[in-house]
Amino acid sequence: MSVTLDGAFFALSDPTRRGILERLSGGPATISDLARSYDLTLNGVKKHVGILERADLVVTEKVGRSRHCRLGSAGLGQAAEWIEAYRQAWDERLDRFERYVERTQR
Amino acid sequence: MSLDLRFERVIAVPPERVFATFTDPEGQREFYGKDTPGWIVASECDLRVGGVWSIAFGPSRAELYRHRHEFQAIEPPRRILMTTKETRLDGSSFETTLEFTFESHAQGTLMTMSQTGFQTAELRDEHTIGVPHAFDRLEDVLERDP
Repeated sequence: MSVTLDGAFFALSDPTRRGILERLSGGPATISDLARSYDLTLNGVKKHVGILERADLVVTEKVGRSRHCRLGSAGLGQAAEWIEAYRQAWDERLDRFERYVERTQR
Repeated sequence: MSLDLRFERVIAVPPERVFATFTDPEGQREFYGKDTPGWIVASECDLRVGGVWSIAFGPSRAELYRHRHEFQAIEPPRRILMTTKETRLDGSSFETTLEFTFESHAQGTLMTMSQTGFQTAELRDEHTIGVPHAFDRLEDVLERDP
């Protein structure tokens, strides 16, 4: 699995990054737009966007001299899959424990 | 929404015995076991409030997951409360709270497990958060009946 829930959680743990996602949920923006919106340096925005991009929460594309950012969907989809697999692991443990108790303690 | 997980099992054995098995080294190893050939479970438990139950489990020595449970409450035969740190292969980890209850039931024991404290639960409570759709998708998965 390339993206774990941790990646998405880490990306979402910062208020600025959540703000960037909120902004992008209204439509694409360039790095410079985001820097203006959040009063950050271009490098600061690039760092945050990089983290969001690694979690697949944001997709960027270079258009001419600027970099356009938009919401990506893979990250949260994978996070949802991760949670489902995680839930199944506990389910299997409980099933196994139930069988064991009933086998040995009856 | 909630990222809390909850599981229930009705076990055809009285709570005292379910609790005893859950706190017994063999029962604890079984809990993390699998039929996969070569599956590893190393479990060590210091059963007291403040004590730690640590488990390493996985398909091989090179692929071991770790759970570290610290007991916050031990109330035989009804309840166990633990804070849990789970560490994955890449070394990343996260902490949650796990509560197990064992209630009398017509057929034996109603065992419940609830897991709370996922980081997104904190995010949920922040009114500033502006990515509702993203979390709706997680919620869809979580609220689906297992």
